[in-house]
Amino acid sequence: MALSGGRSTDQESSEKISVRNVSRSYESTRALEGVSLSVTEGEFCCVVGPSGCGKTTLLRAIAGLENPDSGSVLVDGDPVTDPGLNRGMVFQEYALFPWRTVRGNIRFGLDRPACNCPDCEARVRELIDLVGLKGFENAYPKELSGGMKQRVGIARALAVDPEILLLDEPFASVDARTRDHLHGELLDIWSETEQTVVFVTHDIDEAVTLADRVVIMDADSGTVRSTLTVDIDRPRQRTAQEFIEYVARIRDELGSSDGASEASSMSNI
Amino acid sequence: MTHRTNHSPDTVVANSFESDLQRYLRGLGGLLVFLLVWWLAAVTTQPSYLVPEPLDAAHAFVDLFVTSTTIAVPILGSHLLLPTGLAHLAQTLFHYVPGLLLGAGCGISLGLAMGWNSTFDDWLQPLVRMLRPIPPLAWVVFAIVWFGIHHTGAAFIVFVGAFWINFYGAYGGVDGVSPELTDAASTLGVERDLSMLKLVALPSAAPQLLTGFRTSIGRCWMIVVGAELFGAPGVGYEIINASNNLAMATSVAYMFLISLAFLCMDVGFRLVERRVLAWR
Repeated sequence: MALSGGRSTDQESSEKISVRNVSRSYESTRALEGVSLSVTEGEFCCVVGPSGCGKTTLLRAIAGLENPDSGSVLVDGDPVTDPGLNRGMVFQEYALFPWRTVRGNIRFGLDRPACNCPDCEARVRELIDLVGLKGFENAYPKELSGGMKQRVGIARALAVDPEILLLDEPFASVDARTRDHLHGELLDIWSETEQTVVFVTHDIDEAVTLADRVVIMDADSGTVRSTLTVDIDRPRQRTAQEFIEYVARIRDELGSSDGASEASSMSNI
Repeated sequence: MTHRTNHSPDTVVANSFESDLQRYLRGLGGLLVFLLVWWLAAVTTQPSYLVPEPLDAAHAFVDLFVTSTTIAVPILGSHLLLPTGLAHLAQTLFHYVPGLLLGAGCGISLGLAMGWNSTFDDWLQPLVRMLRPIPPLAWVVFAIVWFGIHHTGAAFIVFVGAFWINFYGAYGGVDGVSPELTDAASTLGVERDLSMLKLVALPSAAPQLLTGFRTSIGRCWMIVVGAELFGAPGVGYEIINASNNLAMATSVAYMFLISLAFLCMDVGFRLVERRVLAWR
């Protein structure tokens, strides 16, 4: 499977994340059932599926926030047992520390002893510039809009320079216009930092806009249904014929279950 | 306090000023009516010490600051000459402040420990449930036999009162820390439990913690007066001392002095709280 738009060359040697036969249940519900997935270094991988299909659990397992009942998650060949600074996470509801300013939030990871940055203050300034929050350094999260909060969330995750960036429906609570901006910015950041990205979403348009490869999860069973390489040059136009075709193919894959059709309805606008 | 939305900002400001003024005038009216009822009750009741007259109480209040009294400073052993009212207020503060601070410190520490560590919580929860309902003043008997009813004994009773209120402030605050925030912190390299407590749980619990402390400021004034009725020196003792001499107006003066002291502390702490919790 050739990857276009991605930077990986040799799939064998550059496997960054390997999810092997992972299962996880909560009480009576099964979130993941024998999921296997491989993400290559520098790849932008989107995981799509309707709400409740276990995609967040998958992401949390990679982050080390969730231990699988069986199976294993490997990063660079090492099993994941705990969260680590090599994996940054961006949360759907931002999870900013409300008592810290924009600067304080972004600095959080840099203040840990495990992270010895030579000039933390300069690094924070650089990140504030990168996510376009100049002038808001001393604002508290309550003073920011949803889009700005998530910019802080992204900058905070990027601060410690993780090799992997995990995003859990990061733009779900952001208005459509801001979301388009943030897509562009995220792709810019990704191409600059050469990070491996796993991006969870229920929005098929969003997945096709961003991903090198889309992992499609099944609605109920907590399994991976199929993966699809998106072979379109960036920046991608949503009105382009091939874009629409990819969206249609993913929608077909997801079937016509409620969540899936709802999620993809935007592509008709 | 109803503002219609079609008003220009100027009118709204004027309106809010007007309604503020109205509020103050009404409040003043309430006070005047109270004074009138008090005065009527005083002049119609015999013997006169049952209800002292407002003016006599005011005189007695002024007297608290005209006369002076020498008090002993505990620990330092030195003596201090102050206006009588302030002297007795200072005596109260000599056990109120250490009791409050120590009680708050210990209560918050235990609350944090139990709220954060479930094993600890399992061990101590039944004990807490058993000890918590005991009114602080009930400990007065042990305060007397252990410390004698002086500054240390009174401080001990205040300590018990401050302890539980602050305990629950901290316990509830830490219990309510959002798991999303601890998740975020752990992906950002917070590994040790103690660091998580310091960096996430404590600041996140700060609002509840400070509310607990502010509540304990008020509660401890009630408790401290209770302790002094048993003989510890201070404003509470002066209330009963004056009434033993049938100087009820002086008792009333001390009651107002306590009210004033509490108001000052409460307002002061609210200002601090607003600054510390500016992020809310």
